[in-house]
Amino acid sequence: MHSPLRSSILCAVLIVLSCSFAAGQAAPRQPGEIAWAIHYDPKTFDPAKVDEQASELVRYLTGGVLLRLNRQTQQPEPQLAQSFRISPEGTLIVFKLRAGLRFSDGAALTSADVAWSLRRVLDPATHAVVAEEFLSPAAVAIETPDALTVRVHLPTRIIGVEKIFDEIAIEPANRPSEGRVTSGPFTVADYKRGQYVRLSRNRNYWRHDAAGVQLPYATGVRLDILNNREQEISLFLRGEYDLIDTLPAEYFGIVAQKSSSAVHDLGASLNTEQMWFNQSPAAPLPEFEKAWFRNRSFRVAVSEAIHRADLARIAYNGHATPAFGFISPANAQWHSSSLKIPPESIADANRMLTAAGFHRSGNQLYDATGHAVKFSILTNAGNPARQKMAAMIQQDLAQIGMQVTIVALDFPALIERLMHKQDYDVCLLGVSNAEPDPSSMMNMWLSSSPNHQWNPSQKTPATEWEAEIDRQMQLQASSATQRIRKQAVNRVQQIVADQQPFVYLVYPNVLQAVSPQLRGVQSSILSPGPAWNIDSIRREQDRPRRGAL
Amino acid sequence: MKRRIALVALLLLIAGAALALRWSPVDYAAQDRDATMAPSSAQHWTGTDELGRDRTVRVAAALLIGLAGATAAAALTTAIAGCFGVAAAFSPAWAAAVLMFLSDVFLSLPWLFLLMMARSLLPLTASPLETAVATFVVLAALGWPACARVLYRGALSLRTAEWMIQGHACGLRTRQLVRMHLLPHLRSLLLPQFLVCVPAFIVAEANLGALGLGVGEPLPSWGSMLLELDNSALLARSHWVYLPIALLVIVLLTLESFSAEGETHA
Amino acid sequence: MSWPVTIAMRAGRTLLLILCAAAGTILLVRFAPGFFSDPREMDAKYAQAAQEEIDAENGQHRSVNQIAMQEAKDFLGGGFGTSRQYRVPVAELIGARIPLSALLLARGILGGWLLAICAALPVSSLRRGGLFWGLPFTILLAIPTAAMATACILSETGGPVLVLALLIAARDFKFLRSMLEGAWRSPHLLQGRAQGLRPRALVRLHILPNVLPQLCALTTLSIVTALGALVPIEVIFTVPGVGQLAWSAVMNRDLPVLVAVSLLMACVVGCAGMLSMRAPTLEAA
Repeated sequence: MHSPLRSSILCAVLIVLSCSFAAGQAAPRQPGEIAWAIHYDPKTFDPAKVDEQASELVRYLTGGVLLRLNRQTQQPEPQLAQSFRISPEGTLIVFKLRAGLRFSDGAALTSADVAWSLRRVLDPATHAVVAEEFLSPAAVAIETPDALTVRVHLPTRIIGVEKIFDEIAIEPANRPSEGRVTSGPFTVADYKRGQYVRLSRNRNYWRHDAAGVQLPYATGVRLDILNNREQEISLFLRGEYDLIDTLPAEYFGIVAQKSSSAVHDLGASLNTEQMWFNQSPAAPLPEFEKAWFRNRSFRVAVSEAIHRADLARIAYNGHATPAFGFISPANAQWHSSSLKIPPESIADANRMLTAAGFHRSGNQLYDATGHAVKFSILTNAGNPARQKMAAMIQQDLAQIGMQVTIVALDFPALIERLMHKQDYDVCLLGVSNAEPDPSSMMNMWLSSSPNHQWNPSQKTPATEWEAEIDRQMQLQASSATQRIRKQAVNRVQQIVADQQPFVYLVYPNVLQAVSPQLRGVQSSILSPGPAWNIDSIRREQDRPRRGAL
Repeated sequence: MKRRIALVALLLLIAGAALALRWSPVDYAAQDRDATMAPSSAQHWTGTDELGRDRTVRVAAALLIGLAGATAAAALTTAIAGCFGVAAAFSPAWAAAVLMFLSDVFLSLPWLFLLMMARSLLPLTASPLETAVATFVVLAALGWPACARVLYRGALSLRTAEWMIQGHACGLRTRQLVRMHLLPHLRSLLLPQFLVCVPAFIVAEANLGALGLGVGEPLPSWGSMLLELDNSALLARSHWVYLPIALLVIVLLTLESFSAEGETHA
Repeated sequence: MSWPVTIAMRAGRTLLLILCAAAGTILLVRFAPGFFSDPREMDAKYAQAAQEEIDAENGQHRSVNQIAMQEAKDFLGGGFGTSRQYRVPVAELIGARIPLSALLLARGILGGWLLAICAALPVSSLRRGGLFWGLPFTILLAIPTAAMATACILSETGGPVLVLALLIAARDFKFLRSMLEGAWRSPHLLQGRAQGLRPRALVRLHILPNVLPQLCALTTLSIVTALGALVPIEVIFTVPGVGQLAWSAVMNRDLPVLVAVSLLMACVVGCAGMLSMRAPTLEAA
């Protein structure tokens, strides 16, 4: 070989070797620490100002709360409050605190701290999101007759009021610390922006296990900020991470191949994937197009033409359930199993369209005025499952003569079109339902709401069926009787199935990966998934310690 | 001889893709949903993709679209960079400074937002081919500044070459000198710029899918197929995901061979 | 021209570049779709509570003049304003990230350059087989950055420096090889070889000085290429550098951060441009 060439090849190899250092190393793990990845930085550590999921997770892991919703039974359980009582009218809640509670810095936790934390959340200056759940936060009054008793006076009954206290962290009075001094299992110990959040064990945590061992078992939690799924999975398989919440469906098989006991498909989630037609009168669309989208037969025909089983099987690799309504079957308490839904049938879809005045010429569908039925489906970029569904729906609708183009935009541009300009034809997105109670979905179903996606912010309901949805949702939000609430929600589910303002596609399954090294994990479909009972989780090699440290 | 072989190879590749499209019993958009990520078979020579679409037909279509778009855009951006560099080299010093300043400003700005604006100007129902054309035009319009300075320096150093002076002395005008003498000497800079831009634009087209640009469904996108290589789940399921990159390497080699001046004789 | 005048002119040029970059960024970001959007609007749980905050913030950003005045005030105040997404001073955000990105860039460019030169010098002198020996770089050109990064992650070797170096090397090799091939063909090179000069001496005494102006310009191109590649590399490898911050700022329309990043980019591009301007223009023999 040419001598300069040989020496050059040698140089090149040396240079390549010197440029290499191992990719994707996680921060070194501390003994007893549980680690996993979150996908973006928490915006705040102030538990009262949480307004996105990463911050909500940190609040969950660090904040001591009066009541905690058991993510498996979905029942409230006393935490800092030893007991609680709601008056028959629902306007008074009395909490009795446990004796001897302390914050992580050793200071005593009394009713004064609870009252201060609640008042801070209710204060309009705090802009706490959870305050909205009190309906009239300004009218809520708090009393502390003694050091262990807190009385909360509500202006009106609030259905499911217990779950609100799951989201209010109790902080030291007049000493907000942004998670550094907490009454929960962990405290914020270290934060490097773009890298990680490190939580350390609260040595004064009130809870002990059945054997008297103080919880939490873990010495800490490390949340790496990592947006790259490939890297996250690689690190999980190497044992650097202990769990993956929301494992993407396309990676389920590959993780299962390498570690079959680590992956869990918990079945349908509460979330939905759906598409809807732009029915806003303010939309900058031609009138003939608006007429299509307002036509019930058109919407139902589209729904009938879509093969949902294929969407679940192919777009989600079988890890999704075909959807026909907004309440997932995982939400057993509220799901209506007797819904009358449009059948999946091309023939029926064609019949409906013909009856509505549409006609086919070759492969193209035309409306009664001779306009070819062509529209776009808008979705967000960066979601492979959604984009696959869009491509499959495009083919399904081609069978009934509709020509569809798919446009994937980045999220801010999409929001502008959806929420500000209503400049779109059809949108395909998902809805995350954090709670099973339909009261949490009011913002989507009330016609006056800006989140009433297909026709937002209506001064009066545009159609009789939307007026009926308004009535039924308000009924279920105000009734104390479970039977009446269920009837109202069933009615809304049926109206939605009949009118198809949302064409529901699938309920994505809850997919999690949990290291076989972890003990005490009780997976749940509710957020925060496998970490919901974090204080009882430990790694196999870390034996629980007797007594307080 | 090498050029002839390269040209024949390129033409064979294009002809093969065109024939595959023409003769295939399946359409590039047809989804065989019972045979997703299927291995090669008599029906699907290179298997199917995640939606059960025939990979051979889609790769063929993607090759034709990507090759046409990316080579045209690369040629255009190279031409713009060349014009800019040569114009600056033959301008007075102050004008050259202004032109280079403009190219620096161009490099400093976040043009991603211009791409977003371009997408918002296109109607949502624009056909996939229209958005593909718009994408490649925008890429061509934005890809030139990086190389303009290199071409400027190259042209500047050749401006005072003996044969340029001789050409002036013989009465040739600047335009003639540039066309007949300077540009051939700048080939050593223009060709790499062109070759580097072709794969860059193919992949950029796929990345611009995040902004609503790029080649839309159901048209196949060569760039998107290349980006499948970053998905370990797909790599584990089929080896045919490497086909697009193999074809791209062949295309680049043929373009390089076709455009090269021949072997160096020392 | 005297040194002080040269320095003053170049400083002035850089300042003007910075001003143009800032103005251009404000215009582009302000009028791009999604500037007034907030992801919280789509979450029914947070939308209502966030609406007041969004309206108040957007009221301040309606007019381009208002934005420009605010940015100028923030710049002169030294903090570059407050990040919309992180709610911390931009200077604090960027200051922590610059060293990391600078180190990554320096190592990547140096590695890429060395690789390209090591390969281009001998390959350009070959009588035949140049295409074959250049094949690895052709393959590298064809591989998307994301795929290279995934390969590193899956094989647990390599990292952002390697990917950046390979990217730069692939591009620079093509240019270098072309330049050097042209240089090898020069008549005085033939004379030199006929007289028995060794290849090393030929390269040192004749080839490198000949292509020096273009090499300096190529340096500018390498730096610009590396800056462009910094964003995907830092995002994929989750390197907490300026590139990752810039991408996050683009996705969240974080104008103060984007203006600061553009200013930084303008400085680097300006300096890189001046590097190529400094190289003497040699007359061909």
